[in-house]
Amino acid sequence: MSAAVTSARGRTRDSFVRRTLRRHTFLFALLLTALLLVLNLSIQPSFGWTTQLASFAPLAVAAIASTPSIISGRGGIDMSISPVMTLSGIVFAGYLAPSGLGGVEGLLIVMAIGAAIGVVNGLIIIGLRLSPIVVTLGMYFIITGVNLKLAPTPFRLDDANWLTAFATNIGPLPGPVLSLALPIVLWSLLSLTAYKRNLYAVGGNDATAFTAGVNVPVVRVVAFAIGGAFAGIAGLVLLGLVRTADSSTSASYTLVAIAAVALGGTSLAGGRGGITGAILGAASIFLVQSVLADARVPQTWLAAIYGAMLIAAVVIGALVSGERNRSRS
Amino acid sequence: MTSALGVEDTSAASSPNPRALVILTSISKAFGPTIAVRDASFDVLAGEVHALMGENGSGKSTLVKILSGVHAPDSGTVTIAGTTHRSFRTPREALGNGIATVFQEVLAAPNRSVLDNLWLGSDGVFRTRHSSGERRRRAAEVLSELLEAPPALDTLVGDLELSDRQACAIARAMLREPDLLVLDEATSALDYDTRTRLFVMLRRRATTGAGVILITHRMDEVREIADRVTVLRSGETVDTLAGDDWTTAQLVRLMTGQSNLVPEEPQRAAATRTPGQIVLEGSGLRISQESRPIDFDLRAGEIVGLAGLEGQGQDAFLRALWGLGGSTGTVTRVSGDRRDRITTKYAARRAGIAYVPRERRAESLFEWMSILENFTAPTLRSDVRRGALSAKAALIRLAEYIDPLRIKLGRPGDGITTLSGGNQQKVIIARWLAAQPDVLLLNDPTRGIDIGAKRDLYRLLADLAGRGLAVVMLSTEVEEHLELMDRVLVFRDDSVAEEFPHEGLTREALVGSFFGPEAVEA
Repeated sequence: MSAAVTSARGRTRDSFVRRTLRRHTFLFALLLTALLLVLNLSIQPSFGWTTQLASFAPLAVAAIASTPSIISGRGGIDMSISPVMTLSGIVFAGYLAPSGLGGVEGLLIVMAIGAAIGVVNGLIIIGLRLSPIVVTLGMYFIITGVNLKLAPTPFRLDDANWLTAFATNIGPLPGPVLSLALPIVLWSLLSLTAYKRNLYAVGGNDATAFTAGVNVPVVRVVAFAIGGAFAGIAGLVLLGLVRTADSSTSASYTLVAIAAVALGGTSLAGGRGGITGAILGAASIFLVQSVLADARVPQTWLAAIYGAMLIAAVVIGALVSGERNRSRS
Repeated sequence: MTSALGVEDTSAASSPNPRALVILTSISKAFGPTIAVRDASFDVLAGEVHALMGENGSGKSTLVKILSGVHAPDSGTVTIAGTTHRSFRTPREALGNGIATVFQEVLAAPNRSVLDNLWLGSDGVFRTRHSSGERRRRAAEVLSELLEAPPALDTLVGDLELSDRQACAIARAMLREPDLLVLDEATSALDYDTRTRLFVMLRRRATTGAGVILITHRMDEVREIADRVTVLRSGETVDTLAGDDWTTAQLVRLMTGQSNLVPEEPQRAAATRTPGQIVLEGSGLRISQESRPIDFDLRAGEIVGLAGLEGQGQDAFLRALWGLGGSTGTVTRVSGDRRDRITTKYAARRAGIAYVPRERRAESLFEWMSILENFTAPTLRSDVRRGALSAKAALIRLAEYIDPLRIKLGRPGDGITTLSGGNQQKVIIARWLAAQPDVLLLNDPTRGIDIGAKRDLYRLLADLAGRGLAVVMLSTEVEEHLELMDRVLVFRDDSVAEEFPHEGLTREALVGSFFGPEAVEA
C-alpha cells in the first residue's frame, strides 16, 4: 500500500523492502530465530549446543521434507511426512538392523521406501486431479495403520548403531549438524540439474510452465518423491536421537512441520520459498518451545503461543510483501 | 498464391502449395454445444508473416491453442515440415515440432528471474540443455534486440512492467528458434519502440525460412508486416488475401460477413420508447490510469449496449457501475430528489442496481442446488412468513417469472443443472428481477445460449424497458447491438471511442469502430 511507489510511467512499482522480502522470503524467520536465540542464551547461559541441535534436527528435516511438494503448488501439502518418518524408523530398527542392513544401505532403503510412497501420492494427486491434502491425509492414515501393524510394541535401536552417533559429537563436530547437512547437500545438488528451475516455475504459474513445454505432471510427482525420501532421512535422524521406533508417534510431526514451512516464508500457494525458510521456521518453533519451557510457562499455553506466532508471521509476511494486492495485476 | 518474399522451397510434396511450411486442413473444434472452429484451413509459407484476423469469438485463439498443443482438434490435421499430425498432445510436443507460441494472456512465472522465464521449458525435467554461460549470453542478446532498455537478467519478472513482461514472453518463444512462431495478440501490451523492434526481428526470422502467424486487431500492424492475411468468421476461414491487395473496409466486410447483412425483424421499435428520467450517473470514470475519463447518464426505459473487442474496458466499465470495482470516479444513483453515491456492490444492491455476471457457472450458479434455491438466493428475506422461510412463498414468486421468461423446467425442486444453459440463464435473470431493480446490468447474458432462449430474453428486456427499467448490457454479439440497443458505446483502450444511436447503425460502422477510426468506411 504505502510502500508502493508510482513510477514515471504511471504504473505502481514495489519498494526495495518489498522486493527484497519477496525474493528472500525467509528473512522474517531469520529475524525471529536470531531474536529467540538471544533470548534463549540470556535465560539459560548453559545452552547445550549439541543436545539442543540433536532435539531440533528431526523437526528441521521433517520441515525440509514438507517443502518440495508445497513449492510445486496447487496446495501441495504432504500430510504423510510424519507417519513416513515413523515407518522408516520402524523398518530400520525393527527389520533392517536386525538382519544386518543397519548401515548406510539401510538409510538408502528407507529413503527409497519414502520416495515410493511419495510417487504413489503424486500419481494419485496428478493422475486423478485430486486435492493433495486429502490424498496425503488418506496416506497418513494408511501409513499410521501400517506402522501399528509392523510395530505393535516399540522397537529399540542397538546403542552401538552408527545412527546414535549423530545425536552426539562426532569428533569436533556436533553430529546433528551432519544429519542436517545430508538433505541440504542433496537439495543443493539438485540445483546442478534443471529440476529446481522447473519446480519453482511450475509452482509459480503452472499454466505458463505447461505452455512453455515443461513436463508439469512429472515435476509434481518428483516433488512428492523427494519429500518422501527426505522423510526417510528425518525418520532415521529421530531414531538416532530417541533410539526407539514407536508407532504411536506417527502423528507427532505432521502439523508442526507444515507450520515450520509456512513460518519460514514458503508460500503454501507454491513457487516461492525454500529449505532455508523451512530450517529457520523449524528453529523458531523449537526455540520458542525452549524459551517458554525455561521461563516456566505452563505446557498448556505452548500450543496457543505457536499458533499466535504462526498467524502473526503469515500476516506480517503478507502485509510486507504485498501478497494480498497482487491478485489484481 | 504469391508471397512478397522469395525464399527457398521447403518440401511438402503432398500439399497443394509446395512452399507451404505449415498446412492446417479442415480443423474443427467444439466445446460442448459451442462450435469454436469449423473447417478452418490455411497454410503458412516458409519465410512468410501471415496475419490472422477475425471478430471476437471467430476462433482465432482456439486455432492457436490447437497449433500449440493446448487443445486437441475434433477433426482435421496440421502438417509441418512435411509431417502430418492429428494433434499435438501437449505444448511440449508442439514445441518439439518447431511451433512456439506467445499467448494472448501474458504468461510468466512472476517469482522467477527474467533468465529463468526466458529459458522456461527448454530443459528436461532434470537435464539442462544449455550451459549457464550460453543461457545468459543468448538471453541478453534476444532481450537487447527486443528492448531498448532491457531489464537485468536476475530481476524477478513480477517486478517488471507489463510491456517488459510481454517482451519476455516473446523472447522466450524466440529463443526456441522455432520453424513457426505464433503471436496471439502478443503486441497489444508492447510500447511502440518495442513493437517496431519486434517487427524487424520477425522479418529477419522470416528471411531464414521460418514462418510467423500474427494475430492482431490492429490494421496498421497488418499493413506494416503481413505478407498475407487470412480472415476467420464464425470458426471458418473465409478468405486469404495476398500482399497489399486489400483495403481495410474489405477486411471488415470479410470479418462481418455479407450474409449477415439481411436485416432481422427488429424485436421492437426503439423509437416507440421514450427514455425517462436519469436514474444513474457516472462521472469521471477511469478504468485504468491511462484511459480517458468517461461520463455516462443512464435513463429509465433505455437499453444501452457496451461493445468493442474483448478486453477493451467494457467489462470493467460495467462493473464500475456496480460499485466501482477497480475504477475511479463517481457513480450516483438518482431517484427523484434522492442522490446516492454508489461505491460498493452492497450500496448498489440497496439502491436497486442488479448485476448479472458473465461467467454463469463460476459467478452465478449454485450448481448443487435446486432451481428454486438458485432463484431465491439473494431475496430469501421476501419469503419469511412468521419468522420462518416459507417454501410456498418462494414457489409463488418463482411462478411469476416462469411464463414471461418461458423458463422450461420440470419441478422447481430439480437441480439447476437439469436445465439447459439458456434456461439456467433465465433463472439467473429471474433471480435478479425478483429483487425488483430499477437498473439492470447484464454482462454478456446471451453467451453460449441457444437462439430461442436469446429471442425470449430480447423480448423480455424490451418489455421491461418499456415499463421503465434501465438496462446496460455488455454484448459480444453484433446483432444484439443492432437489434436491441437504444444506443451503443464502443470501447477501445479502456475508453469510450464511439457512441452510436440506434437509428442508422450499421454492422459495418459498428464493427469498423472496434478496430479504430481508420477502419470505418468513409
